[in-house]
Formats: sequence, C-alpha cells, structure tokens
Amino acid sequence: MLGQLFIKECRQTTRSLIFWLIVLILVWIYASQLGETEIKNEPMPGQESYGLQISQDPELIMRSTLKLLTEEYFQGNYTTYPVGFYKNVTLNEEENRRIGEILEATAGIGSREEAGRMVEAWYGADSEICLEPAEGLTYDQFNRLMDEVDGILGGGSSYSEQKRRRNAKVPMTYEDAVEEYRELIEEDRLTGGYARMFCDYMGIFLGVLPVFLAVARGLRDRRARMQELIYTRKCSSLTVITSRYLSMIVMLTVPVLALSMVLLQKCIIYAGAAGIGVDMLAFVKYTCGWLLPSIMIVTALGMLLTELTNTAVAVLVQGAWWFIAMFTGIHSLGGGQYGWSLVPRHNTEMNWQGFHDGFGQLAANRAFYAAAALVIVALTAFVYSQKRKGKLGVYGKILANRKNES
Amino acid sequence: MERYWQIEKMNLKYHIPVHVFVSILMLLVSPLFMGVANLGSQDTAKVLEMYVALIGIVLLPPVFLPEQEHNIRDLVYTKYLNGSTVYLVRIFGNILLLGILLGLYIGMLGLNRCEFPAGRYFCGTLAEMLFLGGLGLFFYGLCDNLVAGYMLPIAYYITAMGGGEKYLKMFYPFSMAGGSYGEKIWLAVGGVVLVGAGVWLRCRRGRKESQ
Amino acid sequence: MSATIEVKNLNQYYGKKQALNDVNLTIRTGMFGLLGRNGAGKTTLMKVIATLLPRSEGEVTVCGKSTLKAPEVRRIVGYLPQDFSMYPNMSVYEAMDYMGVLSGLSREQRRQRIPELLLRVNLQDDRRKKVRALSGGMKRRLGIAQAILHDPEVLIVDEPTAGLDPEERVRFRNLLCEIAEDRIVILSTHIVGDIEATCEEIAVLDGGKVIYRGTVADLIAMTEGRVYSAEIDKRELDDLKSAYVVTSMLTLGNHVMVRFLAEEFPFSSAKACEAGVEDAYIYLMQKERGESVC
Repeated sequence: MLGQLFIKECRQTTRSLIFWLIVLILVWIYASQLGETEIKNEPMPGQESYGLQISQDPELIMRSTLKLLTEEYFQGNYTTYPVGFYKNVTLNEEENRRIGEILEATAGIGSREEAGRMVEAWYGADSEICLEPAEGLTYDQFNRLMDEVDGILGGGSSYSEQKRRRNAKVPMTYEDAVEEYRELIEEDRLTGGYARMFCDYMGIFLGVLPVFLAVARGLRDRRARMQELIYTRKCSSLTVITSRYLSMIVMLTVPVLALSMVLLQKCIIYAGAAGIGVDMLAFVKYTCGWLLPSIMIVTALGMLLTELTNTAVAVLVQGAWWFIAMFTGIHSLGGGQYGWSLVPRHNTEMNWQGFHDGFGQLAANRAFYAAAALVIVALTAFVYSQKRKGKLGVYGKILANRKNES
Repeated sequence: MERYWQIEKMNLKYHIPVHVFVSILMLLVSPLFMGVANLGSQDTAKVLEMYVALIGIVLLPPVFLPEQEHNIRDLVYTKYLNGSTVYLVRIFGNILLLGILLGLYIGMLGLNRCEFPAGRYFCGTLAEMLFLGGLGLFFYGLCDNLVAGYMLPIAYYITAMGGGEKYLKMFYPFSMAGGSYGEKIWLAVGGVVLVGAGVWLRCRRGRKESQ
Repeated sequence: MSATIEVKNLNQYYGKKQALNDVNLTIRTGMFGLLGRNGAGKTTLMKVIATLLPRSEGEVTVCGKSTLKAPEVRRIVGYLPQDFSMYPNMSVYEAMDYMGVLSGLSREQRRQRIPELLLRVNLQDDRRKKVRALSGGMKRRLGIAQAILHDPEVLIVDEPTAGLDPEERVRFRNLLCEIAEDRIVILSTHIVGDIEATCEEIAVLDGGKVIYRGTVADLIAMTEGRVYSAEIDKRELDDLKSAYVVTSMLTLGNHVMVRFLAEEFPFSSAKACEAGVEDAYIYLMQKERGESVC
C-alpha cells in the first residue's frame, strides 16, 4: 500500500504549484550563483598574490588576537557577532578592569594610555606590525584567558575559540597554492570540490524551502475538506504520513540532483581537456550526504507543526531557525567549521584540508539531523493517529464548545 | 468612513492579533542577538533592513486569509461593499500598524544612542516592508495560496542576502546599509503596484469562481 | 460476526456540554434513519461509530468490533461526511483511485470496482472531469461511490440530501436503498421526507437523548387520529395557531387550508386525516418538550 500511495503522492506533488515554484527558485539560484562557475586553473608561478590563508601557528594567533584586543580595549567598546549581527558591547568598570588585567598578563600592557600609544604607533607604521605576547605566556594560558574575555563580552567576539583560530591570516605562497590545487585534483578529483560548493549554495535555500511544500501538503487536506474522509480509511497513519514524507523528499531531491548534473558536466568537459580523472558520483554522494539531511529535517518539522496546529506556523518557526543558522554561519564560510549548524557552510571549491579535518563533525551533524527527522516523522504519524481518533481537538466546533463552556 | 472603521475594527479584533503578536515578539527578541545600541548609521540600516523589515512578510500577506474559504468569499463579494474595498482597508490598517511598530523600534534605537537619519530610515524601511509584503500579497492573489504568499518574499530575501545586488538591481532591499537610497523609491513604487495587483488578482479570481 | 451495530449507554461530552445522553441502540441490516433537530447529536453519534471521535462513556461495537479498535472498524465502515469534498484538482477517477489505495485495495480490485461503481452512481461519462467541475449532486454521488468503494458492511451518511434538487434527491435516496439491501446504512437527516421514503427503522434524537426508537409505521401510528385539516378564514388563523400546532398551510384567496395536530376532535369544520411522518415527528417533539399539541 505504501508504494502505491507513494506514487500517487508524487504525482500529486507534480501538480502542486508550490513544488514548481520551489523548482523555479532552485533553477534561478543555480543559474545566478553557480551558472557562471569557471573551473579553476592550476596556479602559475610569479603571480602577484595567491590569496590569504589562515595560519594555525599559535605564535601568530596570539600576536594577531592580542593586537585586536589592545585596539578594542583602548577604544572602550568591543565588536561581537552573537548571531552574525553586529553588536557593540560596552563594559562596566569592573569588567573593563578585568580585561586590563588580562591584557597585562598576556601582552604586558599595563594601562589604557599605554594601549593608546601602541595603537597610535601602529597607525603610523608602514608595514604590518604584530604585538609581542608577554614573556613566558603559554598557548594554553592564552587560550584560557581569551575564553574568559569572550565570556565577559557575552560570546561571538573575536576572542572566542572559533574566531581566534581565524585571526592569523598570512599570504599564501606559490607552494601553498599548488598544494591546495593538488588536493582539489587528487583528493577531491575535481568534482568533490565543486560538489561541496554546490551543496553550500543549495543548502542555504534547502534550509527553508522544503517547509513550504510540507505546509502546503498538510493544509491541502483541510482546504479540500478531505480530513475526515481520509481519517475513516483503513490505511494506517504511519503509512499515510510516511508516503507523503517520502514523496516530498524524493520530489525535492530529484531537481537538486538534476541541477548538479549541469555542474558535473562542466567538470567532466574541463577534466577531459586537462587529462584529470574525476569522481563521477561525487555530486550524488554530496547531495545525499549533505543536502538530503537538510531536506529531511525541514520537511519533517514542517509536517509535524502543520499536523499539530493546522496552520502555517511552521513557516515562521523554520524561518527563525534558518535565520539564526545563516547568520551564525556567516563567519565560517570557508568551510571546515561545520558545528551543528542546519546550514553547514563551505563557500569554496578549495580547502579540501578543512573539509577533511572537519569531516567527523560534519558527518555527526548530518547524521543527527537525518535521525532527528525520522523521529519527527514518527511523531507526526502519532499526532495524525490521535487526530483520526478525534483527540487533539481538531474539530473546530468541539473546541469552540469547550471554550464557551469554560 | 464609519463603515471602513468597522471593517478595520473587525480586522484588529479577529484577523490580525496573532500576527501583530508575532511581529512584536520578533522585535522584542532582537536585542538578544544583535546590537541595538551605539550603532553607526550603516549598522543601524543593517538591523532595520535585514531584520525589522521582515515583519512586513508577517503582517501583509495574511490580509486575504479570512476569506480563504470560498463560501465565505462568495458571501463577502456579494455584499454591497466591494471585496477590494475590504482588502484595501485592511491593508491600509496593517501598513499603519507596521509604521507604528517601526516608529517605536526606531525610537528605541534613537534612545539607545544610535546615530542615523531617523526620518529617512523610517521611510526606507517602510518601503522595504511594503515591497516584501506586496510580493507576498501578489503571489497569494496569483496562486490563491497563503504558502506561496510567504515563500516568494522569503526567497527574494534570501536571494538578496546571497549577493543579490547584482540581480535585483534597483529592487535590492539592503541598499541603505551600503549608503544608497534610490532603491527605496523603487521598492515603494514596486510595493504599491504589487499590493494593487495582488488585490486585483484576488478579486478577479473571486468573481470568476463564483460565476 | 453479526451485522449489527450495538450502542450501549453511550454518553458523550464536549467539555461540560453533554452531546449524547445515555444512548442505547441496536442497528441491523437495512436503512436506519437518524432524525432530529440541528444540534441534536446526530453527527456526534455518527462520528463515534465511524471512530472519528473517542467515546466518553459507554460501549459501541460495529459488527462485533469495538470502536476502540479503530483500524478494524475502519476496514468495514464507509463514511460520507456532511460537507463532503475531494481534492479539486483530481479527476473523478483519480480521486476514487486515491481513496481506493487508502482503503487498502489492490490495483486489480481498484480497476474492477471503480468503473462498476461509477456506472452505478451514473458518473461513468464524467470520470475524467475534475472534481472542482462537478455539480453538487454529482459530487454527492461521487461521495457515495467512494464510501462504498471497499465494500463496507456499514455505510454512514450524514445529511446527504441537503442542498440537492428534488430529482437528484430522489435518485440519491434510491441509490441508498439499493446499497442497503445487504448492509447497514445509517442515514442522518432533518429532512423528514428522506426518512419517509427510505427507512424502516428510525431513531429520533433530541438534546442528545433518544426520544423515539422503532419503525416509521409505529411512529405514525402514535399520531393516528390526532391530525386534522380545515379550511378557515384568514382572520381566524392567528387564533388557530395559538390553540394548535400547525404542520402546514396553504393560502387560497381569503381562506387558508391548514393541517394541524389536536389531541381531541377540535371543531365541527375540521376533518380527520391520515398522519404522515412529518406530523408524527412534530407531535413527538412537542410531547418531548412537555407541551400539549392543543
């Protein structure tokens, strides 16, 4: 029964206006964001710049972070991005004193005046000058004190663990650039890198669009006044909900896969000319591993909230979640720091190393959302079965009567 | 006049309270995750354009919702007052509400020592709200589907965030943060056109189906 | 397994409001009519039997199966709700096919049953039409077809003839009678004519209570000798109305032909006439309210 119902639901989805609007939006994103993607060429020696890269050298991290702290301490206000939005933090006297103490312990700067003199000197200098950390300061000590500073500032500051690791930026050398390119060709076999970038762009939209399909499907029964008709059928609630869920997942994944083929073809043409062996299945693997969990969780949540409330409230909830996920992710665009974000970012075809290092976290993140989605689907089926039995107050008249009585 | 007030009173009493509540909630929680004090004009514009303007999507598209049921729609459309009049009164009322909420929020920003041209930013943000809401109303009217009414403005917003300046051109919503104001005039005009077209589509559809 | 529906001591509450009050009924094969005013509890009772509402107190079994076991009951019950509708963008055939899948019918069964049923409800020529293009009567016929698609032992139809034109109504009643030949059909209505034309057994509900349970003939017999008609002057109409319960009247120039209920022979110009279900129903309701008919 599930199979037949699944096919019927898929067919219904192809007649849904919302579905085609979603497809249209996905095509538009692809065309606008990825349509003009040029496949990267091998770096040539003697280029003026190869871009910047983030250094993991503790010494460099300490220097650049402490320089930032000195500047902000002197100015008396601090910039933080708790959810990606700019927040200007001004501290009270006691908190400022504590920052001063920390600055003295880490950089040997004893007063605000001294900090001011240093900042002035930096502005006058021609070349990049870094601050020397205090003598005998270990990296562990530094980390501990910076965590404290971030705590005082309320999180999201340049001194948080995540951010300070990205404070030290150094120019890439030709050798670095060649190495990164080698990783793209050998480790990622070209398509892997582009598949990640594809997932990055698509992931942004798939972090919210599926909710519209789920809400529209959920509300359609009510709109067509079909609820009671379906409720009295033999078919189990789990079958009804699962068939709808599966059809939405499949119908959303198919256009994404189709779009990925366009970029895959570009890669194949380039690789053919350059004699590179590509991974033909990279886009399928990344779409299923990276994007599918997003589609799954967003659709599942949309279904649950729609069944539970019979309203479009899921749009609001998902919108809020997406908003927070997007803005918190704005500082890890380059990939490698995936955390538990609904929308993991990796806005480059390069940085295989970052992906490789963060893979465990990404896999845990995606697996968690996929599993959570399945739990939510089961919960939706339970809610649906309760509604079928007349529980959960689905009948407006009954609810209204109750209200009148109380 | 009294008739219009009655329509708006019903709107305030039955149709819009939940949406107003959500909008107020959205504005109230904003200080939890973004700075709303001591901001310069660019950062203030960012808060207004990228966050506060979103309540336009919450408050405008549901204007058609009370008559979603076709029987109710037929009933309303056969009355002496035009269906479009009812919608326009509600839309006007909701824009007024948006203006009040935005005004209060801007007042709060001012009290928190943010430095920005208040009048200019008020009008600019209201224009963006009108455009976002108008986009929703237009697609709600076109598709006869509230979900479409929410989806399109949100997709537009996301596109704008993802470097949309290149594609949206004069309809780019986050221009004030970049120091440009001309787009706001386009947004205001576009918003009015979209609202008008949305109401027209809705009423035309209503007539067509009740025949 | 017995083809009966047993309702024992059923009480149903919505908050503090009691919608059904100690209802006891045994319903056997054939048409069974539920009659009562709007809000009398007919729909509630039907929803409990169709497992759409959890019963508050009492026991309900459908062909030996308790409504607590909803999946088993759903297998043998067909339901046509009061405000029946379908996905408007589906064609008639697709809508039937979709409901067939939900009812657990195999592809072969659906292929065989759907054309048969569409023929039976006279929709075979409209099978490609979209649901939104159907007239009220056609929609109702589609409704009955979907309700008997899985060949249920019990069919529950809630006010199916409301809003139909007289021709459609007659056709619909006949269809129901055919269906009721070998199964239980519960029909709720407040249109007395429907009951008169189709049901042998009825129950009358008022305020959640069963105030009558038996055959239509017995109900009519209760009123026998209490129905009169008379031709009176228009000016006398108000007096007559305040003295008796008028069940119908027809104005003929300055005179009015009235039909009314009276416990005893009222006046010399009145003529006794044969009671109909409508007279009997009104008599019953008057009695239930504790009011005398004259």
